[in-house]
Amino acid sequence: MKIGIPRALSYYNYYPFWHGFFSELGVELVLSDKTTKKLVTEGSALVVSETCLPVKVYVGHVLNLLDKDIDVIYSPSIQSIAPKIYNCSKLRGLPDLIRNVVNKNFLLIEPTLDKSEPNQGFYQYLYESVAPLGITDKKLIKKASKAGWECMNNFSIMTRSGVDIPTAMRNAINGKISLESTQKEGMAKVAVISHGYNIYDEQVSMKMFKKLKQLDIEAYTSYNLTIEQMNEGIKNLDTVLYWANEHEMTGAAGYYLKDDNIDGVITLTAFGCGPDSLMIERITRYAKRFNKPLLNLTTDEHTGEAGFVTRIEAFTDMLIRKKRTSIVNSLKRQVVKKEEEKRLVGVE
Amino acid sequence: MKITFPHMGRLYIALSTAIKILGGDVVIPPYNNKRTLELGSLNSPEAICFPYKLVLGNYMQAIENGADAVLMIDSPGICRLGQYSSSLRTTITDLGYNVKFINFDLYKGKLKELYVKFREATGNRNPITLVRAINMALLKINILDDVDKILSYYRARELKEGDADKRYLKGLREIEAALGHKEALNAKKNTIEYIKSTPIDPDKEIVTVDLVGEIFVVLDQFSNLDIEKELGRLGVHVNRQINLSDWVKASIIPSFLRFGDTHEEKARKSARTFLKRDVGGDAIESIGDVALAGKQHSADGVIHLLPFTCMPEIVAQNILPNVRYQQDIPVLSLVLDEHMGRAGYITRLEAFVDLLKRRKRQAGKSLKVAVNAG
Ligand code: SF4
Ligand code: SF4
Repeated sequence: MKIGIPRALSYYNYYPFWHGFFSELGVELVLSDKTTKKLVTEGSALVVSETCLPVKVYVGHVLNLLDKDIDVIYSPSIQSIAPKIYNCSKLRGLPDLIRNVVNKNFLLIEPTLDKSEPNQGFYQYLYESVAPLGITDKKLIKKASKAGWECMNNFSIMTRSGVDIPTAMRNAINGKISLESTQKEGMAKVAVISHGYNIYDEQVSMKMFKKLKQLDIEAYTSYNLTIEQMNEGIKNLDTVLYWANEHEMTGAAGYYLKDDNIDGVITLTAFGCGPDSLMIERITRYAKRFNKPLLNLTTDEHTGEAGFVTRIEAFTDMLIRKKRTSIVNSLKRQVVKKEEEKRLVGVE
Repeated sequence: MKITFPHMGRLYIALSTAIKILGGDVVIPPYNNKRTLELGSLNSPEAICFPYKLVLGNYMQAIENGADAVLMIDSPGICRLGQYSSSLRTTITDLGYNVKFINFDLYKGKLKELYVKFREATGNRNPITLVRAINMALLKINILDDVDKILSYYRARELKEGDADKRYLKGLREIEAALGHKEALNAKKNTIEYIKSTPIDPDKEIVTVDLVGEIFVVLDQFSNLDIEKELGRLGVHVNRQINLSDWVKASIIPSFLRFGDTHEEKARKSARTFLKRDVGGDAIESIGDVALAGKQHSADGVIHLLPFTCMPEIVAQNILPNVRYQQDIPVLSLVLDEHMGRAGYITRLEAFVDLLKRRKRQAGKSLKVAVNAG
């Protein structure tokens, strides 16, 4: 049994879980190819232009799977992750959108996770994920869920120890754990705040991480943090959790804005993203309050890489300069202090 | 304390009545206009949805006019609306205004919340007056919706342009001024009479259009450039599918006091083939309304209004082409924002109405043409 998983949106949050879960049940997962320009163009063609980039990308991935003759596609609706904590409309209605815009013959598996509804919790979600495949044994599903969590937890442990996402993903899927950080020491430390599906899709983020590495900058993201740290981050920004995907935005930003080891913060948001417009507003206001350098970047399918790179370079240059100055200043202070001490001793 | 609130269509008539009955002072912000939007846009996050900007503009203009307490409404649209008030509050405080915030949190409770917050806003502790005030507000909302329905018939058929509206406005002033139950019903009766005295051509060739979409822009004449009036001028009988009373019914009246399905519940059923889940805002209603428009309402077409960057309606807008194809009904989606030019807008309306007229004439011959009206 084969099902297709679009390499987009919630793939970046839950794929390790899905891998563990479905493998345990003997279901083979086929991933769409990595995002390309062509894939984005094809996806965009089926939706109205106001639709945010990540959803266009998602549609492109569905088409990509269909092109590979995969005719069962897994497209969950993550409505809400806790009572009254909802996702944005597009993530909520994702399978509905796919069903209406992709005019081809295929089976759409569309489980709903809605923790604001009494009967739409996690096990129901899992049940709906496999029932269309003829798997209805609840004990078996529970067991598979355990396998899913194991894979997911391994993945999270690795990312939190500083292993980069592709490596952590590869290891988790192969049942391996490596806790050695892949982070190399750089000239400055930057936190990149965005949804996983934006930053880890190289086409969308224009290879931002590679660029930062070339510039000798260490990059940190929400994947390096625990839920507790992100909850603390949300508190730091004087707010409460409102959106289902707010941890990776407000939470991570709030944490890093108050982290003295971090020299600056870059936010990356897709043009037309509803939740981000309010979250970024708050992050920007508090960055000023906390005196942390901040760069806001917006992207859509027409954004050129060149302009992007220039802005990142200018920002990181500034951070490095600032860091140097502060090191020089603190050295100077030390020298002055020593001389003063000497003078005082001399006076005695 | 001078109380203000944001505009949403003619909601101000109901709200100001309630506050006056309770003995409170009201500052009604100037009806949405260019300056409202400028003030709002200037102080809003860039990509925020259109209604937010106008709401902020309303508060700022009302505060300039002396308001020192603002009502905020958090309604269970489960969208950005739920976050409006906290963000607005921060902005207003940052602008240096010192005002009291009174939150109607309709997530928490319905009538009870209304009761408690009206008491807080006006200081009136008399339960009888409080109940009377709330009742009057609800009554007026129903009256306004009823009158609008009649107006729409006359607008489409009037002999002299603007005639029906003039008569309607005269009545509206009476409805607004009424403070007692009987007085309000009288005002309603008068208004209907005024409108019905408009000379019309009952045999005029008209088309009917169902107006659907996000509630704020459907009801706000400024955002939608008074679309109902424009359509009336073009000989269109408009059936607005989203009304103030529907909103009230869904968000204020407890379910055990309701008769029959709310608009949302009905729409949910008819939307099911296309949209299985609620996605927040009014999207499911937009889809459901379009699904009903042709076969159930025998409308000739549908106009779907949505604010720029409105998340739920973007989902709806993506699904609608399939609905209009399956239901064989022309649908025009109009995205509203501050950059929309009047001329282009009117041209699009005219083209759409022409199409509907042509289709209607051809009906019977070849109804099964795929119509691309977007
Ligand atoms: S959260 Fe933003 S970017 Fe993500 S799907 Fe929703 S609107 Fe698009
Ligand atoms: S429904 Fe649309 S207009 Fe209303 S708050 Fe949500 S995004 Fe904004």
